[in-house]
Amino acid sequence: MTAIVEAVNLKKTYMLGKVPVEALRGVNLKVESGDFLAVLGPSGSGKSTLLNLIGALDKPTEGKLLIEGVDVSTLNDNQLAGLRRRVGFVFQFFNLIPRFTARENVELSMSIADIGRAERRKQAEDVLETVGLKERMNHKPAELSGGEQQRVAIARALANNPRFLLMDEPTGNIDSKTANEIMGLIKRINEEKGVTIIMVTHDQRLATQAKRMVQMFDGVITREIVN
Amino acid sequence: MKSRDVFSYSFSAIRLRKLRAGLTTLGVVIGIAAIVALLSITQGLQDTITVQLRKGFATDTLIVSTGGGFGAGTAGRIGADSGFKLRINYTEIINGLSPDIDTSIAIIQRGGWIKSGEGERVTTIVGVDFAQYADIYGSTFVNESGEIPLNPENETVVVGKRVSDPWKNETLFCNVNDDVEIKWTNATNPFQPINETYTGHVTGVLQEIGGFGVGGPSDSSLYIPISQAQSFFGTDECNMIIVKLKNDDKATIDSVSEAIRNAFNKEVSVISATAVLNILSSVFSIIQLFLAGIAAISLLVAGIGIMNIMIVSLMERTREIGILKALGMKSRTVLLVFLCESVIIGLMGAAIGIGSGWVLANIVAIVFHGGGGGIFMGNQAGVSGGMTITPVLTPTVFLGALVFGVGVSVVFALYPAWRASKLKPVEALRYE
Repeated sequence: MTAIVEAVNLKKTYMLGKVPVEALRGVNLKVESGDFLAVLGPSGSGKSTLLNLIGALDKPTEGKLLIEGVDVSTLNDNQLAGLRRRVGFVFQFFNLIPRFTARENVELSMSIADIGRAERRKQAEDVLETVGLKERMNHKPAELSGGEQQRVAIARALANNPRFLLMDEPTGNIDSKTANEIMGLIKRINEEKGVTIIMVTHDQRLATQAKRMVQMFDGVITREIVN
Repeated sequence: MKSRDVFSYSFSAIRLRKLRAGLTTLGVVIGIAAIVALLSITQGLQDTITVQLRKGFATDTLIVSTGGGFGAGTAGRIGADSGFKLRINYTEIINGLSPDIDTSIAIIQRGGWIKSGEGERVTTIVGVDFAQYADIYGSTFVNESGEIPLNPENETVVVGKRVSDPWKNETLFCNVNDDVEIKWTNATNPFQPINETYTGHVTGVLQEIGGFGVGGPSDSSLYIPISQAQSFFGTDECNMIIVKLKNDDKATIDSVSEAIRNAFNKEVSVISATAVLNILSSVFSIIQLFLAGIAAISLLVAGIGIMNIMIVSLMERTREIGILKALGMKSRTVLLVFLCESVIIGLMGAAIGIGSGWVLANIVAIVFHGGGGGIFMGNQAGVSGGMTITPVLTPTVFLGALVFGVGVSVVFALYPAWRASKLKPVEALRYE
């Protein structure tokens, strides 16, 4: 299998005022096409930082991060934006645009990718159907439950047919019953559509549902388990 | 992101905060309305004065005076008094100066009163040679009723339309064949001014001219024979000499003007209609620039308002910008989204502002219509009569206001938009 993501001795240091904070202290990781990887770890272990680097939201301080064979540190701002369009992001707090309906939120990621109106309208309906929200697509986020909002966020992440999905605590802000439904949806997307998924969570129970999981602690991967 | 989508996204952001956007737009509206109203009124005033001036001031004539009045620019001295007197018989000297001169006539002019029955009105008493005056101003020194005798009696009086019918309602103050008393105050000895009067006989009423009497006939003057004016005012000095040229070529105007000035050792001012119009045009340009400058200040204030609102909006929407960037929006597109919002505000503000300014200008014109009293320039060029100002919105002002409104909005939005575009996605997403 081809490695979609490859991190080699990846380091990230933040400056907290004048104090340097090492969020990542040499992470080595390989994610292959079709994989479903869970990154497990407590708060402050560096798992979200790792996800942000893989999603091109941030740049590493040291080390190498290859996305589809391209070293992220060599990319300029525009190229990073282009890379982000090929990645689907799902956040813990959904991060939907409140003034847009579910469909408009999904369409937004496609309009950013220069997709025409007719095509994105159809695609939005398709992905909303995939996440089981076609009936509610004309509702605004405030009119949707937490679980429904996260489904919209997943639909938005899927809209541009991404090479992989990055999920930061996707069930962290919803009740456990809905969380199970969302996990079921994520697994289905991985298995049926073959979308590679990297999911960050601090919930071991959810992590075990992934094909593979790595445990992080203090900015390094301490353990890797194939479920 | 396609430009239509950028526009649509920006518009949705504006629509979300209608009141705030409305108030921000109002700032632009006020600025643009002020500019448009002031400029269109000034332009209208300039056009009105120019048109009226053209009516009362033939282009193939020159006005020779002892300075003052419009005698500026190339005409030479402004209002200086060297003791030089312009005399009625200088027309003979002038006539002999150039073959391009057709004829010249002297004009004696004083402020005075006309009394008819119990009524008395202020007027300008003008002493001219009727025959020559009618020859020069063939289209304006024309009788509507009665006649303008070419060899008038001493008592002959020809009155302007507004002297005869001052209220514009056919209730005549005086009419043909009326005997009227003409009065002026002789203030040769300022400590003992003497009121001089004589009874004149109205033989004709001029047709309505509508123009300003710069040398030429005007609606609010009355005309008496020059010989009568000489004896009534007790002088052989005249206020001005009107020189009629054989053509109105610039070269002729310049050479004759120079010849006249030289003949009188540059003690006289020679002005032409072209010169007056040029001066007027440059004066109005300065006035317009000045007024537009004042109005532009209010637009700058509006610009600062836009900047303020944009910065607030930027702070409120930091997380949204993070989302957009996480979805792959380029920094340049984020910049465009914010600039587009300011363009929409600027465009709406400018469009509404131009409309409001135009309405305001018309209201001002209506309010001032009919109230325009006499405007007197110097002691020679009497400009009088009610003026109707029709505001003029030139394409330049229209486009200028539009461009300026949008331009100011964009310029003041540049900094907030630039800041928005420079936000780091990971930090923007963390922003609470």
